[in-house]
Amino acid sequence: MAAPGLLESDLPSAVTLLKNLQEQVMAVTAQVQSLTKKVQAGAYPTEKGLSFLEVKDQLLLMYLMDLTHLILDKASGGSLQGHDAVLRLVEIRTVLEKLRPLDQKLKYQIDKLVKTAVTGSLSENDPLRFKPHPSNMMSKLNSEDEEDEEAEDGQSEASGKKSVKGVSKKYVPPRLVPVHYDETEAEREKKRLERAKRRALSSSVIRELKEQYSDAPEEIRDARHPHVTHQSQEDQHRINYEESMMVRLSVSKKEKGRRKRANVMSSQLHSLTHFSDISALTGGTAHLDEDQNPAKKRKISKKGRKKKESVKANPSLKSLPLLHPEKPAEKQNSPSLTAKEMKIPQKLSAKLKSGDWWQLHI
Amino acid sequence: MGINVLHPGQSTVPKTEIWGKLAKMYNTTLDVIFVFGFRTYFSDGKTTGFGMIYNSLDYAKENELKHRLARHSLYEKKKTLRNQQKECKNRMKKVRGTAKSNVGVNEKVS
Repeated sequence: MAAPGLLESDLPSAVTLLKNLQEQVMAVTAQVQSLTKKVQAGAYPTEKGLSFLEVKDQLLLMYLMDLTHLILDKASGGSLQGHDAVLRLVEIRTVLEKLRPLDQKLKYQIDKLVKTAVTGSLSENDPLRFKPHPSNMMSKLNSEDEEDEEAEDGQSEASGKKSVKGVSKKYVPPRLVPVHYDETEAEREKKRLERAKRRALSSSVIRELKEQYSDAPEEIRDARHPHVTHQSQEDQHRINYEESMMVRLSVSKKEKGRRKRANVMSSQLHSLTHFSDISALTGGTAHLDEDQNPAKKRKISKKGRKKKESVKANPSLKSLPLLHPEKPAEKQNSPSLTAKEMKIPQKLSAKLKSGDWWQLHI
Repeated sequence: MGINVLHPGQSTVPKTEIWGKLAKMYNTTLDVIFVFGFRTYFSDGKTTGFGMIYNSLDYAKENELKHRLARHSLYEKKKTLRNQQKECKNRMKKVRGTAKSNVGVNEKVS
């Protein structure tokens, strides 16, 4: 028979396993005895703790006890059929399973508490640090008696209270990964066209047409100018830089001239008679506004300037196909949007294409 | 810190007044407060600038720029005349190497 042969080969491994088991059991009993001594001595007070965790503890202990009871019975040769401990085990197991989602929900709180207990203070990203301090809103100029301590404002505002520059932290430069530049000429052309189309779509001509033919109620808003000009964006960028770096940038003559021109343009009745160019939609050739920048030489590209702000020389001109004397006029088959894209009725688009925009209104 | 000064109907507030106000707000002496960069952008009444308050005068002397210290009279700039500086430079041009440092400012041409 194969059975005695199998038994003989299994014997040595069984003996070693049993010996390991014995050692581990002795180690475990030693640990458990030390733990019980500590608990009986009152080293782990749990009255002020989370009762949920206490319930879990007790349940797990009961589970262990029942499990050991079963193992004892089985090892001494009894059967587990209809054993009471099995039913108790099943009950405890279901309760533990039901407790698990609760555990998930409490995980964040427990982790935070443990971290606070270990480190002794709130962590950096803790949202509790950014709670509002109404004491900071009181005016500190009123009288000597009502002034608050400065200790409060240490936590509240994360930005800008620069009191001591002497605390030296090692400067870590930002890790920028250079990316390969592989934009072909065709892609650049496409991008230019896209941009011109988008700008043309939001021009006053198209917007008024949309309003005329849409069923939506007319909205009168006192909002920002829809055309955020390059100058206004530059101004915003400059202001942001100045406030974050706490320096004042000097304004060159050219910059002053540009700013004045932008202000003058927006304040005059310039927009009554001059319309932005929608040749990207109609497919015609671009016309350049004569009054826009008389002093500037119209070049196709301008060298990048070394300034703190990234300035592009007159982008509106750059994006338009220029009628350079040496360059031939662009063909008319540049892709223009269909009428459906523009949400304008069919016959209107035909009129637009022919360029008789004025005749639509008259 | 950034400072917003509201002064409707008046001209721009001088820096000495701003020192006084900040000293009262933050319970410090006047000498550790340094303000700069005030611009009256808006049509009337609002000025924006920057300011720094140091924990002690020693830190301030170490870290602050010289011209701002000069506003508190904590630093005096050397006032060598421009002409003399140029003369000194021209004398230095005639000499080569370490002898340049021996050329003084008020040397008379012998």
